Amino acid sequence: MKRFAYARASTVEGAVQALGDSCRPLAGGTDLIGLMKKGLLAPERVVSLKGIPALRGIERDEDGWRMGALTTLSDLTERYDGVMDRELGVLSQAALESASPQLRHAATLGGNLMQRPRCWYFRNPLTHCWLKGGDHCFAAVGKNAHHAILGADTCHIVHPSDPAVALLALDAEVEVVGPEGSRRIGLGEFFAEPQRGARSETVLGADELITEVFVPGPPAGAQGVYVKVTERASWDFALVSAAVQIEISDDEVEAVRVVLGGVASMPWRAREAEGLLRGKALTAERIEEAATASSAGAAPLSDNGYKVRLVEGAVGEALRRLKRA
Amino acid sequence: MPRIEKREVEFEGQVTEREIIVEEEGIAPWDEGAQLRVVGQPARRVDGPARVTGQAVYTTDLRLPGQLTAKLLRSPHSHARIVSIDSSAAESLPGVHLVWHREHLPPIVYFDGRELFPIELAYEGAEVALVVAEDESAAEEALAAIDVSYEKLPFVEDLDAALAEDAPPALLGTDDNRINPQGQVYERGDFDQGWEEAEVTVVFSFVTPNAAHSALEPHATVARWEGNELTVWESTQGVFSVRSELAEALDIPYDRVRVICDYMGGAFGAKQRPGRHSILAALAARATGRPVRLVLSRREEQLVSGYRPASKQTVRIGAREDGTLTAIEHRAWQHMGAFGHRGYVVVGPSRELYACPNVRTVMQGVRANMDRGRAFRAPGYVEGTFALECAMDVLAQRLEIDPLELRLRNYAETDPSRGQAYTRKGLREAYEIGAQRSGWRDRHEVPREDGPWRRGWGMASQIWGGGGGPPANAIVKLLPDGTVEVLVGVQDIGTGTRTALAQIAAEELGLPLTGVRVVLGDTLPAPYGPTSAGSQTLASAGPVVRAAARACLRDMFDLAGQMLGIEDADDEAFFVEDGDLVYGPDPEVRVEFVDVAAKVDGYTLVGDGARGPNPEGKRVNTFGAQFAQVAVNVDTGQVQVLKVVAVHDVGRVVNPMTASNQVYGGIIQGLGLSRMEARIVDSETGLQLTSNLETYKVPTIMDVPEIEVSFIDRADAEANSIGAKGVGEPPIIPTPAAVANAVSDAIGVRITDLPMTPRRILDAISGREAGE
Repeated sequence: MKRFAYARASTVEGAVQALGDSCRPLAGGTDLIGLMKKGLLAPERVVSLKGIPALRGIERDEDGWRMGALTTLSDLTERYDGVMDRELGVLSQAALESASPQLRHAATLGGNLMQRPRCWYFRNPLTHCWLKGGDHCFAAVGKNAHHAILGADTCHIVHPSDPAVALLALDAEVEVVGPEGSRRIGLGEFFAEPQRGARSETVLGADELITEVFVPGPPAGAQGVYVKVTERASWDFALVSAAVQIEISDDEVEAVRVVLGGVASMPWRAREAEGLLRGKALTAERIEEAATASSAGAAPLSDNGYKVRLVEGAVGEALRRLKRA
Repeated sequence: MPRIEKREVEFEGQVTEREIIVEEEGIAPWDEGAQLRVVGQPARRVDGPARVTGQAVYTTDLRLPGQLTAKLLRSPHSHARIVSIDSSAAESLPGVHLVWHREHLPPIVYFDGRELFPIELAYEGAEVALVVAEDESAAEEALAAIDVSYEKLPFVEDLDAALAEDAPPALLGTDDNRINPQGQVYERGDFDQGWEEAEVTVVFSFVTPNAAHSALEPHATVARWEGNELTVWESTQGVFSVRSELAEALDIPYDRVRVICDYMGGAFGAKQRPGRHSILAALAARATGRPVRLVLSRREEQLVSGYRPASKQTVRIGAREDGTLTAIEHRAWQHMGAFGHRGYVVVGPSRELYACPNVRTVMQGVRANMDRGRAFRAPGYVEGTFALECAMDVLAQRLEIDPLELRLRNYAETDPSRGQAYTRKGLREAYEIGAQRSGWRDRHEVPREDGPWRRGWGMASQIWGGGGGPPANAIVKLLPDGTVEVLVGVQDIGTGTRTALAQIAAEELGLPLTGVRVVLGDTLPAPYGPTSAGSQTLASAGPVVRAAARACLRDMFDLAGQMLGIEDADDEAFFVEDGDLVYGPDPEVRVEFVDVAAKVDGYTLVGDGARGPNPEGKRVNTFGAQFAQVAVNVDTGQVQVLKVVAVHDVGRVVNPMTASNQVYGGIIQGLGLSRMEARIVDSETGLQLTSNLETYKVPTIMDVPEIEVSFIDRADAEANSIGAKGVGEPPIIPTPAAVANAVSDAIGVRITDLPMTPRRILDAISGREAGE
């Protein structure tokens, strides 16, 4: 690993001042350290956020839930107080399905949203792929069983986060602070397809920091389910996942968000499926229709055609569980 | 007296005739009726507390005073030629002691028949340079400072690429990637005629992946010279093979080399011999005058430390309507890497498992640009059993005969490949017990559908060697307080050998387990012991420990006779009981074991033992059957293995606890191969994409189903004096076949390629729907 300077910040302002082009913020370190060990990142300075009290804590106020960026994934699964479990069930499930207990104790919510893709070409120091500034995507014609089927153009990564999929289903927003002050970004706009010039998965600037994730208070009776399909039962990234958050009143779907993981460079809203469900009763036929529609627009590569079927299976499973609930 | 004899020797499914030295043990075997106190009882590992409290010192734990760190620069290409190397910058860095490569060679240039630093790099991770430095970070900086220019060469990344018509050579100077272009052919009877006679035929092809051993402890060497004496701590399955190969390579006498492997963090076949890292550490320690530690990283361990060769196999089976087999043909191609041999006996199960008169097998090793394929827990037999036992299930389906019944109808009472009798074969009992415990015969009464989940059952059989044999020696020393030391040249690679051997010595000497100390994994104090491979450790070393203990006891009986004033007592007249040496003709006449030991005092009473021969003209084999129950989600392709029932016949079970451990471990490793493990190589670059434990997936505890283990625990008294055979490899052999048969039973589609990932399941279901 290349030598680097280490700084500890005690305030958000201090952290933002210390950040910059060749700097990286450090929270749980579960991804950053791995990237640095492989030489995929070589920052001159690492700024620890661990000593910033303002980044901790989970609060419920009248508008909704505020979760500090340093909230660990195990905080999301273990600090059940009934209300959180009920209102943010889909997020708790997603956090519990992530990684392993050891990793969940260290990994933070902010870091989880900012983690880099697990693409085995991106992660291999010997392949200079497009996302790392190279001239092509090795997955386009290579071993792409784990890669994107939706929305991919030049680069075929999938976003590795489970909580991000659940948070988009909960219509979450991200509070970001930079030299110009703070701004709030809807999670749907926070993630971005990597573009020429900005080969990055988010709109966050190098001198910006996530301070908080906000989830608008879900209406009473709203429910969510997270379904994750992996090759291994634990400590594995999703082949495909589905987060569904739904409000049903008088047997009719009042509101619904269907979000897919493991299929695109960002959590992916299956809007056609949502449209088919909205205003309708959640019948077996409707579920099947919505499940089939959830893969609309899929453009699989040589090895990942199975993901189309898998998306439909995962969404179907999530909807059936919600119907039973 | 030792004598030289020509004998048939079995190892990992290969039978060869060799001259060996044999010596009669001269003791009656513990037969089925033997009343044993310690052997056969569940015993906690004698070194368990040391292992779990971290006191046990593994090779990777060693830190010697003045020790330097060595690291290797490895090829970033799957096939390349070195154009130039400039290490001047690395050499001038602080803390760097030595840099070796092909332009600055170590004192020896060849090892294991190849150059240590060749100009042609035939696989990703091939050694390019060695750096020895004060510490890890200095060594890493030096590696990064070496400037190498490579010329990339065409490569072949897998069996298909290597066997293609216009394939480039995996190794320059060869014109055929097939290592043995004619193949290794075996034939009994007349396959073509048997095929004609068949009323029903099955032809199926199967694929198994390159699978990395993934031992917890990586390959590691610590080397220290004191004058002209070399001590090597090596994470190895064979301390004696490391000693002889290093001594030969360094051209120094054997007695100047001591190899130690006290504790071992797993090997599974990948550590049978010293590696290039071993000889380089020894050379670097001599050159620098300081101890040198060379431990492979996890990446190196996954990338270049050996793998179970991928296979492509085609099985053709013909049978009569009543299920009687008339013909089996089994063809196998194996991915042996750039420097592999002709291959493991993938077709062994087709030769040995069933009483079929007409059998033809053809095997071929294939070169491809990867490190060397190595033995991995029951090499060949896991892959071959997967193909054969899946094809047998397809045949059962076509014949509408229960899969278990089909196997029973073709049961081999004698070894069909050599026409010899078995010393013991408990497979029929294993089938029966497995069928009962797994609910096999009632399986059709269980609901098969639950939403998208489909339930299925499958079973498979196991045959393997595991009989061990000579040469192996042991020494037992009696100490004045009545405790004993057992010196034996094997190593405990994590299987519980130390505990089992202590049980055997304690049993023979009438001592409690705590009265025996087993010293192993060290070439200096111990006589020769075999490499821990081929499930041969216990069946080779166990009888020897017993013979040495008996030799020690004979001297003690002699002394006891003198102490008791019995004139001319035959030492056979004595026996041990409750810590006493008892005179048989008058059991009231007895002396305490400890009193005889105290009498011996400063004189050391030593017993030695050598391994007697295996019975001539008979086959010593292990057998077993596994029954798997799975649930498969047809919407998501997820496979849940619900339960595996394993029944194995490995002769007498010396320690039911450690033997069960072996079965659990074998099944879990087999499930890994069934469901998730595979080395994956990029076809554009030839680079491995799975050289870490994130993408090379081994099972977690959450993937482990209920496992029910039982043994046909009956002494094989004809095989050897303890009646026990090996249990390390048998349990992994039938697992992938049993699981694959269960998956196919659940979804009604045959999965022919391992591992059975959700992708493979969903693609197979989609294929069926598309009418493929």
